[in-house]
This record gives sequence, C-alpha cells and structure tokens, in this order.
Amino acid sequence: MIDAQNVSKLYNRSVYALRDLTLKIEKGDFVFLTGPSGAGKSTFLRLLLREETPNKGALRVAGRDLSRLTTRQVQAYRRGVGFVFQDFKLIPRMTVLENIAFVPKVLGAGSVPMRRRTFQVLKWVGLQHRMNAFPLELSGGEQQRVAIARALINDPVLVLADEPTGNLDPDLSLEIMNLFREINARGTTVVVATHDRELIRQVGRHTITLAHGRIVENE
Amino acid sequence: MRAFRYCVDEATASLWRGRGASLLAILTIAIALFVLSGFLVVSSNLERLIARWNDAAELSVYLADDISQEQRISVDQVLARNDAVVAAREYLSKADALRRFKRDFPDLATTADGLASNPFPASFEVRLRAAHSADDAPAKLAAQLRQTAGVVDVRYDRQWIERLSSVADLCRLMGYVLGGILVAAAVVTVTSVVRLALYGRKDEIKIMELVGAPIGYIRGPFVLEGTLQGGLGAGLALAALWSAVLVVRSREYQVVDGLADFSATAFLAPSLAALVVTGGMLVGCVGGFIAARTPR
Repeated sequence: MIDAQNVSKLYNRSVYALRDLTLKIEKGDFVFLTGPSGAGKSTFLRLLLREETPNKGALRVAGRDLSRLTTRQVQAYRRGVGFVFQDFKLIPRMTVLENIAFVPKVLGAGSVPMRRRTFQVLKWVGLQHRMNAFPLELSGGEQQRVAIARALINDPVLVLADEPTGNLDPDLSLEIMNLFREINARGTTVVVATHDRELIRQVGRHTITLAHGRIVENE
Repeated sequence: MRAFRYCVDEATASLWRGRGASLLAILTIAIALFVLSGFLVVSSNLERLIARWNDAAELSVYLADDISQEQRISVDQVLARNDAVVAAREYLSKADALRRFKRDFPDLATTADGLASNPFPASFEVRLRAAHSADDAPAKLAAQLRQTAGVVDVRYDRQWIERLSSVADLCRLMGYVLGGILVAAAVVTVTSVVRLALYGRKDEIKIMELVGAPIGYIRGPFVLEGTLQGGLGAGLALAALWSAVLVVRSREYQVVDGLADFSATAFLAPSLAALVVTGGMLVGCVGGFIAARTPR
C-alpha cells in the first residue's frame, strides 16, 4: 500500500525532517508512527497527504508515485485518503451534520446519497443525537469522533491521523483508538502518528519509531 | 450545475457574512464606474450637441453699408455657385436686421429706437448643407467671401464646434484615465475584501484541498463573490448616474435658444449600460480571482 524508498525531506540546507526513510506498509495494516517531537512523524503524514513532496527518494501509495501526480491526480488521490488532526479542524459555523456532509458536498455528491452516507457514519461514531450541535458545544472526544466520521464519509482506502488523541484524556484516547481499530477491521489501512507510548502499548499494533528523521525501530 | 449552485450559495452567504467589507468593495466599484460612466454620459451628450450644432451651422456674411447693387449681386452669385455647400441663403437688409433685433430683444427695442442711425449691417444668412458642416468646404467658402468686394466680415461658428468637440474628447480621455485609476483601486479593494473572506474560511479551504475538492469548488465561490460585488457596484453606479441625469433633466433653463436643452440630457445607451455592468462584474471577477489564487 505504502512504499517509501530512501525518502528525504529537507526544510533548509542542513535540517532533515526525514532522512533516507525506507519502509513498507501493507494494505489493511494498522501502523503507529511514533517518536519524540521533531522526529518526522507529521512530515511523513504530510508527504502521504501529498501536501509536500520528498526532496529525494520515491514515495508510492497504491502503486502511484506521489511526486509525479498532476493537480487533478492529486485531487483524485486525496479522495481516497481520510485524515484526522489533533485539533479536529471542524468548521465552527457548521453543525455536526453539516461538518460531515461538507466533504461529499464539495466533491459534488448528490444530496440523497450524501444524506444517507452522513447518517450512516454519524451513527457509526455514535453521535446521531448530537447532529444539530455545533462543534464548540461538544466535548473533545465528541469533536474527534466527528472528525473521524468526516474522514470516513468518503470510504477511504487509507486513513491518516496526526496525534488524534493529543487533546484527549486516556479513557477518551482509548475510545478513539477503538474507532480506528474498527475502521482497520473493515480493511482500511490506518496510519496513526502519536508520541503516546502507553496508548501504543494498550492497542498493541505495528509500530515504527522515528528519531531525527530516521527509523530507529520497526516492530 | 451542482458546482455552480454550490458556488452561488457560498458566495451569497459569504457576501452576507462579511457585509461590512463587501459594502466597502461594492461602493468602491460603484464610485469608479460612476466616474467613468459620468464622463461617458457628459461626452456622449456633448457629441449629440455638436451633431445638432453641426446640422444647424450657419454662415453670416456682413456687407458694407456702402455696398453697391453690383457688389451685392456678386456676393449672391458666389453663394449661388457654391450650392454644394449652401443649402439656403437669405438677404437681410439693414432695416430687416434692426427689425429682427427688436423682435429678439424687445427690452432693448427702445434703446435701438433712440439711436441716430441704424447700426446693424445688411447681411446674407446662409444655411449650410449638413453633409458639409463637418469638413473644410464651409471654411473655404468663408475665405472666398472675405475676399469678395463689399463684404466686411464673415462669421462662421465652426470654431465653437471644434472647441466643443475638443472638450468632448478631453472629457472622454479624462473619464478613461480617472476611471482607469479608480477601477484599478476597485480591483485592489475587491481583492482585499475577498482575501479577508478567504482568511476567515482558511480551515474550510484547507479541508477542501485535503479531501481533493475540485479547484472550481475551492476558488469558484470567491471568484463569484467578487463578480457579485462588481455587478452590485455597477448597478449602484448606474442607479446613481440615472438619478443625476434626472436631476439635470429637471433643470428648467436652456442655453442658446434651445441648442443646449438640459431636459434632453441622454442617459447611457442600453448597450453601454450593459457594458458598464459587465465591466463591473469583470473587475470584481479579476479581484476575486487574484484573491482566490493566493492560498494555493
């Protein structure tokens, strides 16, 4: 699914965010990316989201070299990728329902299938009773569940999460991780960047540890 | 169609959300287009006036008090030979000229009666053919008449028409220059206002980019928002200009015996008004487009 070969990302002449990173993540894997701040976890996710391209090496997802995609191909690629951020990135002026429906709406989906799918994912994350609430009326855990629902609405083949439990207490963190496990159980590849070693221990999945842009452990 | 509806919904919602800033952009465009259209209205009305004056152009040939019968016939023959330029001619004796003066200026009639002698010269009043009123044939005829014995002066109002024509040209040029500067300012204002709206929705745009939304969905609402601001600004400018024209039309006075009648002031031709609206929308569209390109 994900094939990184000697990927390097350089932000200025001397500081490498990623250095000669080589790894493979199979389709349907659940992978934790961990390491201290500045290890390169978020940079790798940004490369996978095709927000940036590597300075060196090749990064392929489902056989596509992400550096060689045209603008339209990037759009098409991103439609198959769901993402979840630490700060949720929900739109405050929209209700829970509108936040989730926003994705199919801006992708030009018809209103009937859009509503059906929105209710489906809303039910799946257990927030149908809060569908008319605004993000600021929700708890952190609820906001993150809305963000996960939004990431799933497009039936992605790959879900990327950058510190999704960074703003949550341990119980809520585990609850959110269980949602990711359920997503993965349906065959979706999940990559979660976190520095929470305790959470990784509790979930117990494939873990890649980065430090200074290099892989120091892959277990 | 779905994309267009999305863009319209988002653009109108954004206009309403940022109505203060949007109003500023609309007013800037309205001022720019009001100035530009105002100059166009003034210059087009001057052109109409010039055309009317051209049609009514007359040549007055003043004769010496001691002109002989032969000399008067000679002047008349010069006019008759130039019938390609001269549409009609009328001889006014000194007595006829005095009568006309008393008729046109009754308040001064008694003053004229008090004079020891009739000061008005005899003349030929010549009406020119419209086809020749704009070329130099009348000027040549005037020069020829000045050389004719018994003629003391020839008055031809072409100079006034030429001067007015220059004023109309200058007016149009000023309109283009001033309007151009104001339109550029309007583009900058629209760009800033749309950029403000864009900044307020940066998280939304980020999400749209990350989910792979087509560029039309991301940029479209902002371009349309600018276009709507431009259209509304142009509409406002035309409404203000129409009001100004109505005010001018309501003025009672006329200048030079009906030749410059303010009540006949014309508004922009429909095609030109449509062009102003299109231009306004284009100005807004360019502003919106420049702003929408920024975050990518």
